[in-house]
Amino acid sequence: MSLVSLSFFLFCVLLLLCYWLFPKKIQWIVLLVFSLVFYAFAGIENSFYILITAFSSWLGALWLDNVSQKSKQYIKDNKDNLTIEEKSILKNKTKRKKKLILAGILLLNFGLLCVFKYANFVIGQINTITRLFNTNTTINSLSLIIPLGISFYTFQTMGYLIDVYWEKSEACKNPLKLLLFTSFFPQITQGPISNYQQLSSQLFSEHKFDYQNFAYGFQRMVWGYFKKIAIADMLAPYVQLVFQNYNQYAGITVLIGIFFYSIQIYADFSGYMDIVCGLCRMMGIKLTENFNRPYFSKSIAEYWRRWHISLGNWFKTYLYYPIAVSRWNTKLGRKCNEIFGKSVGKNLPASIALIAVWLTTGLWHGATWGYIAWGGLNGLIIIFSMWMEPVYAFAKSKIKIKESIWKFFQVIRTFILVTFIKVLPEVGSLTAGLGLWKRIFTNHTIPTSFGTLLPFVNKLHLMAIIIGTILMLIFSLIQRKYSVGKLFNKIPTVIRIFILSLIITILIIIAFGLNNVSGGFMYEQF
Amino acid sequence: MEKLMEILMEINPDIDYKTEKNLIDGKILDSFSIVNLVAQISETFDIEISPKYLIPKYFNSVDAMWEMIQAILDEE
Repeated sequence: MSLVSLSFFLFCVLLLLCYWLFPKKIQWIVLLVFSLVFYAFAGIENSFYILITAFSSWLGALWLDNVSQKSKQYIKDNKDNLTIEEKSILKNKTKRKKKLILAGILLLNFGLLCVFKYANFVIGQINTITRLFNTNTTINSLSLIIPLGISFYTFQTMGYLIDVYWEKSEACKNPLKLLLFTSFFPQITQGPISNYQQLSSQLFSEHKFDYQNFAYGFQRMVWGYFKKIAIADMLAPYVQLVFQNYNQYAGITVLIGIFFYSIQIYADFSGYMDIVCGLCRMMGIKLTENFNRPYFSKSIAEYWRRWHISLGNWFKTYLYYPIAVSRWNTKLGRKCNEIFGKSVGKNLPASIALIAVWLTTGLWHGATWGYIAWGGLNGLIIIFSMWMEPVYAFAKSKIKIKESIWKFFQVIRTFILVTFIKVLPEVGSLTAGLGLWKRIFTNHTIPTSFGTLLPFVNKLHLMAIIIGTILMLIFSLIQRKYSVGKLFNKIPTVIRIFILSLIITILIIIAFGLNNVSGGFMYEQF
Repeated sequence: MEKLMEILMEINPDIDYKTEKNLIDGKILDSFSIVNLVAQISETFDIEISPKYLIPKYFNSVDAMWEMIQAILDEE
C-alpha cells in the first residue's frame, strides 16, 4: 500500500478511529491488527517469513533469558558451596550455550535475508567466473520476491535478540507483542530501525488522547507529504533522465542532475520519516528520529551520524563496537602500539571495524558492486580523515581563518562529496556510475541558453522545485535552534488551518493531477 | 580511580573529567575515543568489557566508568 494513495488515507482514518475509540488496554492489539493488514496488502504469501522471524526471535529470547536466569539462580543458591573456579566454569558453560542459541537464530534470520537479497548476486558472480574459464555451466537465477521490509525488520528483531543475549533487554513474554514489534507498519518499509526498549515502552503502554500531539503529528505528516510530492516526486523524472542518458548531456547538466538527486533522496526519505513519525505522534507514539539536518554536516563521519541515524546506530552497536573492542582487535592495537607507535595502535582497531561496517552497510543497501564500492568509499574517507586528524589540526593552526568561514567550507565540501558518492550505485551499475563521474569532469561543453543547460526541465516545474527546496532549507535552518512544530503552533488556529488546507490542496493537485508521477519511496527498495 | 583518570587525560587532556557528567550524551567523546578508552581500560584493569557495557550510561562520567569496572570485576 503506497503511502501516497487514497487507500492509505482511508487506512489511517480507520486506524485512528479504532485506536482512540477502543479501550486503551487494547490499543496495541489495534496496532497489531492494522500492521498485519498493511503487511498482507504487500502479498499475503510473504507474511510467512516475517512470522518466522518474529516467532524464532520470541522463542530464542525466552530461551536465552531462561539459560541466564537458571545459571544465576544456581550460583546464588550454592554460593557457599561453589569454589571460584567452579563458578567460573559454570559461567563459561552458560556463555557457550547462550552463544550457540544466539548463533542459531541469527543464522536462520540473516540466512533468510541473504537468500532473498543476495542469492541472485552470488549466482551472477559464479556465472561470470565460470564464463571466464569457458565452461558452459550456468546456474539459473532464482525467481524470488523479496518480502516487504525484510532488511529493516530483520535488523530490528536481531538487535532485540542480541540485546537479550547481552542482558541489556528483558525477553518479551508475549509472542503477539513481539510480532507487533517486528511488523509495526509505519516503520516496516523504510525504518527507523528501533531499539526494543525504546519502542516497546511506546507500543505497549496505554496512551491518552492529547490534542497537542495529534495536531503536531498531523502537521508533520502534511510537511512530509509536501517533501515527497512537491519536491522528491517533481525531481524524480529529471533525475532519471540524467542517469539514463548522461552521455548525451553536457557535463554541467549532469552535475546539476546529481545535485537534483541529492535533494530528491533527502526529500523522499526524510519526507517518509515525517509522515510515519507524524502518524505515530497522532497516536501518542514517539518514533526514534532518523534525520538531524544531515546536509549541514562538517565531515562524512558526522553526516552518517545525522543521516539514517537508526541504521548507523544499529551498525555501531552490533558490529562496530563488538569488532573494535574484541579481544583479538585490542590485542592487535596493543602490539601495533609497541611496534609502530601510539597513532597506529589507536587507529588500527577502529579502522578494521570501520571497514567491516562500511562494506556491510554497502551490501545492506543492495547486492551490487556499486553499493559495495559506495560503502567502501564512505569507509575509506572516514578512516582517512581519522588518520589525518593531527595533520588537519596542525594545518588549521597554521592557516589563520575565521571559524565560521572554516565551518562553512567544511559543510559545502561534505555536501559535494556526499552528492558525488551517493550517485555511484544509483545509475544502474558501477561502470555507469563511474561513467557519469567521468562525464562531469571531461565534458566541458558550455550551454548557451537555459534550454541547452537543462533541456528536459519544464520551467514551471523548476520554479516549484526551487520554491520547495528553499522552504525545506529555511525549515532546516530554523530547526538548528527552534522546533518548527512549536513555532507553527504559535500561529492563530484559523490561519494554521488555512495554511494546512492550502498545502493539502496543492499536494492533491500535484499528486493526482499535474504530476501524476508519485511512485514508491526510494528506500523501499532496500 | 587514579589510573582511570590517567587514561582519560591521555585521550583528551582538555576535558574536566571531575565535573563532566555528559561525556557521551554531550558528544564530548566520540566512538573512536570510546574504542581507545575501552582498549586502555581492558589492558590496565585486566578485564574484558563486553559490548553490552558500551552504552552512554557507563561512559558519561568518571564515576559511571568506575562503577562499570567494579561491576565487571565482580562478575568475573
